[in-house]
Amino acid sequence: MNITVTPATFSYVEFDADLTTRVARELAASMGLDRDVRIEIDETTPLAKIIVDVPTAANEPIVVHADSGAFEDTRRPRRQSENTTATSLGRVLYRATDRLQGGFGEAPADGELTLAQMAAWETYSVGRLARLGIPVNQQRWRYNFRNRHGFSDAGDESFALLWSSDGLTWGELQAISERAISVGTPARAQVGT
Amino acid sequence: MADPYKPRAPIAPWDRRELPGLFDVEESARRIGNYTWAEMKLFEALGGWVATVPELDVKMRLGTHCYKHAWHAELWHKRLPELREMNPDRLTEPANDAMVQFVEAMTEPEAPELTIEKLVGVYRVFIPHFVAAYTFHKNNTSQITDAPTIRSLQFILQDEHDDWREGEMLLQSLIETPEEVDRATAHQARLQKLMLQAGGIAGPGSIGMNPTTSASATAGATNRNGGH
Amino acid sequence: MRTYFPVEELARDERFSKVNMRERMADPRTLAGDSATTTRKSRGNNNRLVPSRRDATDAARALMHGIFVGEIQALEGAGRTCHDFAVSNVPGTGPSGADSDPTTGNTVPFALKLDMARQAWDEARHVEISVKLSDWMGTEIGQFAENTVLFEAACSTDPVLRLAGVNRALEGLAIDVFTTMKDFGDLAGDPYLEFCEDWMLADEVTHVKMGSDWLRKVTENDPDRRKKALDFQNVVDKLFSYGGTRSDSEESPIGLARRFRELAGFSDAEVADIAAVSLAALDERKSSVAKMRDQAVTEMADQLGTA
Repeated sequence: MNITVTPATFSYVEFDADLTTRVARELAASMGLDRDVRIEIDETTPLAKIIVDVPTAANEPIVVHADSGAFEDTRRPRRQSENTTATSLGRVLYRATDRLQGGFGEAPADGELTLAQMAAWETYSVGRLARLGIPVNQQRWRYNFRNRHGFSDAGDESFALLWSSDGLTWGELQAISERAISVGTPARAQVGT
Repeated sequence: MADPYKPRAPIAPWDRRELPGLFDVEESARRIGNYTWAEMKLFEALGGWVATVPELDVKMRLGTHCYKHAWHAELWHKRLPELREMNPDRLTEPANDAMVQFVEAMTEPEAPELTIEKLVGVYRVFIPHFVAAYTFHKNNTSQITDAPTIRSLQFILQDEHDDWREGEMLLQSLIETPEEVDRATAHQARLQKLMLQAGGIAGPGSIGMNPTTSASATAGATNRNGGH
Repeated sequence: MRTYFPVEELARDERFSKVNMRERMADPRTLAGDSATTTRKSRGNNNRLVPSRRDATDAARALMHGIFVGEIQALEGAGRTCHDFAVSNVPGTGPSGADSDPTTGNTVPFALKLDMARQAWDEARHVEISVKLSDWMGTEIGQFAENTVLFEAACSTDPVLRLAGVNRALEGLAIDVFTTMKDFGDLAGDPYLEFCEDWMLADEVTHVKMGSDWLRKVTENDPDRRKKALDFQNVVDKLFSYGGTRSDSEESPIGLARRFRELAGFSDAEVADIAAVSLAALDERKSSVAKMRDQAVTEMADQLGTA
């Protein structure tokens, strides 16, 4: 498995391509991913968008396009955070792995996923990252899930199920997400009522 | 229902308030002028220290307590004209020079490592003396003629007790080593000696006991108003 | 304790990391990053912070942390104003025992100090609320760098400039930010966010009104000083409109809360001025980005031509 990171050196940010390579290699090994991975970092933007292209041909690499903010240490602007790098890369690499390993054939392309579907998949991915030993703030992802599925006990139960799951199929994942949405949150919910 | 025209005692039998009090109008105003000054110094110090303490919980408490003491100063400032002092600023002054020295020493610590000293000055010396002076005032002024002062004292004492407790708990949580115990007690002793010289928030006699037997106590405590 | 406290020495525990406005603006990505065009690809021309944005959750978390550290600095600024100036109608009661600041001659009315103490309490509560909200949203204390510009505006040796810079410009911005966050919580169905922002918004309107009232009273007979203060307010307003973060345009993440600003004592003309400054800042940013893009295209064409 070959990991490449571009650019090799950075001028807008103080990033380390070797660090990114190492993190990606460790993640891929933990996930059982045997494809080549190419990581393209856009260091000219502080945004944190990260997307992944999953090739259909077996000899083509997975390509990750990341804005510099996706790997940045939010405490120290322009510097790289290993943990943020691992979390961001882990999320997209798990999505790629899911698509490649089967069971996710019916899943829409990343760009076509609804906000709720993406939040559900992110929950599923980050829960697995946590079990790999990557430090994550579960509440951050719970809040993201709630924003997309409503603030309800049933939604939180769905979140917990996704977070602790392994080996889901797209159909199972989507069913959990839809169940949470169907309960939803009444608009303008009142505190304490 | 009882006959509304039947004469009743104007003061109910369960109302045990007494008419006599220890302070005349002038003395009450003098003390309240000293309280105003001291409460002002305290809220200014608490406000100033907020930016200097790194501990987030302490920062928030200082900001909260800053307002409470500002409100006390406001209550006293408003009370003075009701005590025939039409220029409240004339009486808004420290009890004596030793009280000025005390406030200067209390507000001296600024470095971020000196949170213990800052809190000791306020919560182990200044506020306990407020509690003492206010309690003495409340218990000795006329319960009928000076009722407005008593009402303010009751509100203020509630705040002082709450803040005292919060400050003390912060201190207990910050003091972790025997060396820090020494730091706290050394600073407290230094300030306590200055307060002893001052004789309390309203000068000698703040709590009724006039420490005239102590030469060192009276030396620095020249009352600016020639009062008790 | 000194009379004026430098921003560099603001005390923080080890979780916090501070950056000042100069450092923030020195980030080459701020302009080159072309966030306006990048985001437009995915969101059209609408950058307003609403739940339907793909990055809404993280953007809201980051903004909430910005509010949190802003509240800390607002608390510190209000506290310093309680401390730094002598009271004008009580001789000999300044923090240093002087009648007024020996350098500037500045004093403040007693009632102004009382208002600042009240504001300190309000800001302390806002810090408490922000801590709990951040926790609710999954953000750790100090997770984002702290921009100390708010306290910088509270460092003036003239109390009137502090009122203009902090109470009117920055607390005015807080009205815009809280309104945006309140709407966000309302749309997302987040019961705590909407509830808390609504309460904080009420306090901010009070603080801006305090600033407006005191500015008018203190400078009643000093038109030059009032002008200087309003000029300073404009500078701070412009600084915070940097990059078009706040404006009436949907391209700005934060909107201008006109109704609440009116409640806080801003005149129609003042709101119109702020709207114009904010839009100008947005246009300035877009034009800088376009210029850099054109420059890059030219440079690339030159290189290709010489290759």
